Amino acid sequence: MAEVKEYFHIAIRNLRTRSLRSWLTILGIVIGVFLIISLLSLSEGIKQTINQQLRSLGGEMIFVMPGDISNIMAMFTSGAKLEKEDIGAIERTRGVETVLTMSYQSLVARYGQEGKMVFMSGLSWEKGIEIMERFQGWSLKQGEWPTPGKREILIGKQVETEIFEKPVKVGSEIVIKGKRFKVVGILNSLGSKQDDSSLYLDLSLYQDLTGEKRGAAQMAMVKVRDGSDVNKVAEDIKENLSETRKRRIGTDVADFSVITSEKMGDIAGSIMAVIQFAIIAFAGIAIVVGGIGIMNTMFTSIRERTREIGIMKAVGARNSAVLIIFLFEAGIIGFAGGIGGTFLGAGLAKAIEMYGQVHPLFYFSASITPGLIVFGLVFSFLVGCLSGFFPARRAANLKPVEALRRYE
Amino acid sequence: MAEPVIKLENVWKIYQLGKVELVALKGINLEVAPGAFVSIMGPSGSGKSTILNMIGCLDFPTQGKVFLKGEDISLLTENQLSQLRGKTIGFVFQEFNLLPNLSALENVMLPMIFQGMSEEERRERAKALLTSMGLGERIFHQSPELSAGERQRVAIARAFANNPELVIADEPTGNLDSVTGKKIMEILTDFHKKEGKTIIVVTHDPNIANYSEEIINIKDGQIIANHLTASKVLWQR
Ligand SMILES: Nc1ncnc2c1ncn2[C@@H]1O[C@H](COP(=O)(O)OP(=O)(O)OP(=O)(O)O)[C@@H](O)[C@H]1O
Ligand SMILES: [Mg+2]
Repeated sequence: MAEVKEYFHIAIRNLRTRSLRSWLTILGIVIGVFLIISLLSLSEGIKQTINQQLRSLGGEMIFVMPGDISNIMAMFTSGAKLEKEDIGAIERTRGVETVLTMSYQSLVARYGQEGKMVFMSGLSWEKGIEIMERFQGWSLKQGEWPTPGKREILIGKQVETEIFEKPVKVGSEIVIKGKRFKVVGILNSLGSKQDDSSLYLDLSLYQDLTGEKRGAAQMAMVKVRDGSDVNKVAEDIKENLSETRKRRIGTDVADFSVITSEKMGDIAGSIMAVIQFAIIAFAGIAIVVGGIGIMNTMFTSIRERTREIGIMKAVGARNSAVLIIFLFEAGIIGFAGGIGGTFLGAGLAKAIEMYGQVHPLFYFSASITPGLIVFGLVFSFLVGCLSGFFPARRAANLKPVEALRRYE
Repeated sequence: MAEPVIKLENVWKIYQLGKVELVALKGINLEVAPGAFVSIMGPSGSGKSTILNMIGCLDFPTQGKVFLKGEDISLLTENQLSQLRGKTIGFVFQEFNLLPNLSALENVMLPMIFQGMSEEERRERAKALLTSMGLGERIFHQSPELSAGERQRVAIARAFANNPELVIADEPTGNLDSVTGKKIMEILTDFHKKEGKTIIVVTHDPNIANYSEEIINIKDGQIIANHLTASKVLWQR
């Protein structure tokens, strides 16, 4: 076992003397590992952010959204509405305690001289505030809750400082579509940048402003009565909704989705799984290319050093000794690439996260765990060894005479 | 007579070059007694290196048997043979003897690694050997930083590293000027005398051959005569 240390030493010496080629090969691995680590830590971060947000939605809620959940893009862009009858159908369902309807849209808001596009949510204050406080963790940083029916708005934490040049103060006015609204309260962070950079106002005011039909809404949040089975209630809501719809429009095409918060997590999870799979596949290709680079370098180096291999064998090196030395060389190349790639990848992920914190464009943080770093290093070492295996085995199996004949 | 260090029994070596057969050795019989100093001479292409490869257990005969200290090497596994070779035989080649990435010291330590000697022991012995070769100042130099003569001396030091019973050298002075060549041969002869080791040298140079006690002449893969410069004939064809 003691001689393994010496083999390692010899491998290091060999790498050092052909350093340019070694570095170039290492670079190949750096790129692959860099991709894997940065993309994985970002996607893992996004996943965690989503989970966090879902958790902040609070226990057992049911969401009713128009459109088909299996087509996410259409769902958010279709602009389909839940009509008054639909909402009535939801409210009538057994086990439903409260239905909170809401609508949202991006609009230009003026503050002083400045006009900015902001996200605006309308929700009925009367039921809304209590539900939001209890189940969504809303709390006031400053000011007070708005009075239903008055032209008063709440702003997210980011709106206070990030959106407009001048900080928005409680008591100041924001103008939307020519109408003046008084800022009466600032919310504490809701845990997501999207929510923190929104304006919140009474649904009826919102509907006046946007021309949305009274009584309709874009989505509904359903609080289930204690002791009711959420999944059962969700099923019932779905049934009631399709009946109402059939009566009204004459089709039972499922153009709305009823999802429990648990299911929402599942959906988000499976979307992330697909994204991560794609990431791993692409980064995997990069790693394979890097591995081929190592293999190529090792084959070249073995051809050049055939004579050396012959000498080692002449002076008593067993096949295993030669194999180990060359495996070490390949493994060290992989490992060095792993260090570089992990370092750069983690750095990029951190940089993107920091950028995301300054600009409310990205809503996630990177997740750089010790596990991920260890994975990056061990994985790249293994890639090195694996790519080095065939070249090393060829070197180990060389016959001493044949190896010694080169150079002669 | 004591058991020969190496014994070749009707050794044939046939190379298959495409459809053509090249017979490099034609039934060689040879015994080398312990402590002998033997030169192998012959024209280029006569099969000297091929014989030496057989003696050094680097290659196997197409036909016939090679015995190293009485042991039939064809019965050993590759790893056993490596082990035995490393312990029993030291090699000096004409050139490119050293691993270029290792220092002189590390080159000399190399054969001892494969015999599982401890780091300390290795270092001590390698230093002592190099110093005795007059290379005490050069132990950390790598082969590109050494002269041809110095390299050969490092190679000789390495050949003696495991205190082998047999040292074989294939034209060890072939690449050196006559003065340096002479020095190298003196070192070899010295070791032979002091340590009583068996030495087999392949050479073209009759002056070099004069150092030895016995000369074996090879032509076309056959031993044609044993020149006797020492006291007894070990093998007569
Ligand atoms: N691996 C091989 N494949 C084919 N032919 C070979 C091989 N090795 C040696 N030979 C042939 O065997 C014959 C003997 O070669 P060998 O190297 O033993 O000669 P030599 O006496 O050492 O010559 P030199 O003095 O030039 O070194 C030569 O004709 C050579 O071409
Ligand atoms: Mg030769």
